[in-house]
Amino acid sequence: MAVNMQQSFSIYPFDPPGDVAALRAEVRAFLAAHEPKLGVPNCWVVGDPEFSSALGAAGFLGMILPKTVGGHERHPLERYVVIEELLAAGAPVGAHWIADRQTAPLILRYGSEEAKTRYLPGICKGQLYTCIGLSEPGAGSDLAAVRTTARYTLDGWRISGQKIWTSGAHMSHVMLALVRSEEGSERNAGLSQFLIPMDAPGITIRPIIDMGGDHHFNEVFFDDVLLPEWAMVGARGQGWAQATAELALERSGPERYLSSHVLMTALIDAAGPDPDLQIKGLIGELTAELWTLRQMSLSTAAKLAAGEDPMVEASMVKDLGNSFEQALPQRVQALVDCPSTRDDDLARLMRALLIAAPSFSLRGGTREIIRGIIARGLGLR
Amino acid sequence: MSEQRALLCDTAEAVFAEAATLGMAPVEEAGFGQLLLAEADGGFGGDWGDLFAVLRIAGANVPSMAIGEHIVGQWLGGEVTKPYGAFIRVAQAAGAMDAALAMSIDYVNTRQQFGKPLGKFQAVQQVLAVFAVEAAAVNVAGAAAAAALDRAAGDAETALFEIACAKLRTNKAIGQATAIAHQVHGAIGFTREYDLHKLTGPLLDWRSDHGNDAYWGNVLGTKVAKLGGAGLWADITAR
Repeated sequence: MAVNMQQSFSIYPFDPPGDVAALRAEVRAFLAAHEPKLGVPNCWVVGDPEFSSALGAAGFLGMILPKTVGGHERHPLERYVVIEELLAAGAPVGAHWIADRQTAPLILRYGSEEAKTRYLPGICKGQLYTCIGLSEPGAGSDLAAVRTTARYTLDGWRISGQKIWTSGAHMSHVMLALVRSEEGSERNAGLSQFLIPMDAPGITIRPIIDMGGDHHFNEVFFDDVLLPEWAMVGARGQGWAQATAELALERSGPERYLSSHVLMTALIDAAGPDPDLQIKGLIGELTAELWTLRQMSLSTAAKLAAGEDPMVEASMVKDLGNSFEQALPQRVQALVDCPSTRDDDLARLMRALLIAAPSFSLRGGTREIIRGIIARGLGLR
Repeated sequence: MSEQRALLCDTAEAVFAEAATLGMAPVEEAGFGQLLLAEADGGFGGDWGDLFAVLRIAGANVPSMAIGEHIVGQWLGGEVTKPYGAFIRVAQAAGAMDAALAMSIDYVNTRQQFGKPLGKFQAVQQVLAVFAVEAAAVNVAGAAAAAALDRAAGDAETALFEIACAKLRTNKAIGQATAIAHQVHGAIGFTREYDLHKLTGPLLDWRSDHGNDAYWGNVLGTKVAKLGGAGLWADITAR
């Protein structure tokens, strides 16, 4: 039985420089000092500008950015350690999340000098927030169907069109948008990325309330919004390549399996030191999945930090992490008696996540699209 | 992968191919029993990562042979206990799942229905992506358990947390992955003459061997319940 067997996912050493235990202790001390704000389910969509400012002041934002723009020149894996501590504690990191995770590295890599000077210091302070303008009506998973246009004029660029499902647009200072900058271009050609100040004339933001009653995402309309030339990010027409590279940054992080870790914590605490066999079994199985996901996420982060492009591995972490988080509240519900009148930590978190969980396999690329990427990696497409 | 491990894997491929027809004799002659023994004691001085790599190849090529028991038994100087046995099965399963995945991909790329290869159908692509992710989880869990055993100088009690996690995760993966392997193969994969059952049969057996889900769930759940919620995170990140 000779089979051509490749190792499907090789483990890669996660080895941040410096004293990692000391760094964790530092973050935990910071968290302990902000105790009442913690324990938030689905915590990277919950914004708290005060908390974000405090994180920035403590040096935990812009960790991998140069000191010249207010960053801390730490190693990407040190940043990873910090964010997994924040997520595990259920810290409200939603305000600065997108700015710190993807916009700042993108501006650093492709942005104009003007954009770097103007935006990066605020991101490092935890006081400047960004949102991502990708989806449009008609261009969700089929992102190449983007129709919002950027027209080059004597005054500068003129943006017209509409974005939708824009998380945090209402509390962001800047949007990083993917728009069509070549008239008549099709699919993924002729797209460029722009940094759009959300207070520019011609912008209208309308809330979309989600099924949990929360306001996270929005519709954003652009009516001939004028932008200076430096607002374009990277090379004209290269927006597609830049945006897809940016997506890889958001697929394999610990937020894909830790955004609701507080429910797991509450389950274990509610079960006490000697729960019955069924609960022990559930805790054991969940722990095994959590631990395995962490090994996969750590390994992928280490590959990214080493300059590799683990597109398929990152997609695997996202798919598995989403599934784990999504199933978690229902698995708890199936075993623990939490009638809708019960109102302790466990019951409250479980109910909040039962409602939030459907979004987990939608945001950052739907499950089916992500599995398509994995299938391509297997040579099936 | 170290130079030494690459060489070891090449040897394992060749020796296990012979073992498929000749039984354990070639494995014993090649000295695999000495894999974990220190060089000072005339052994190979291999680590648990080396053993994981070798047992992946065994799992893919000779899944029913007790090569892991042979190697770990020599090192222990006696019967293989449950945690070591569980680690062995995880390593074999990592190889057998990757091999079954490779067979499945090969099959759907070859077999045509409705005028195109099965692999061109999105429904088939989607389930094979799930298979690949499950196989990846087992490979990562097994490699991480091996690393834990290396840190613990082979002491299974010290590495019990990781071994329990890896075995539980593997059991879950086997359930999903074998079902998908058979589903995409259709009827041919359910026959005696086709080789798929040589992988999926042992894989399904291994879920019971050296502790099933209930056993390891209880071991791990007991440990974690004592740690408490914050304690679990502190424990995981300290490992």
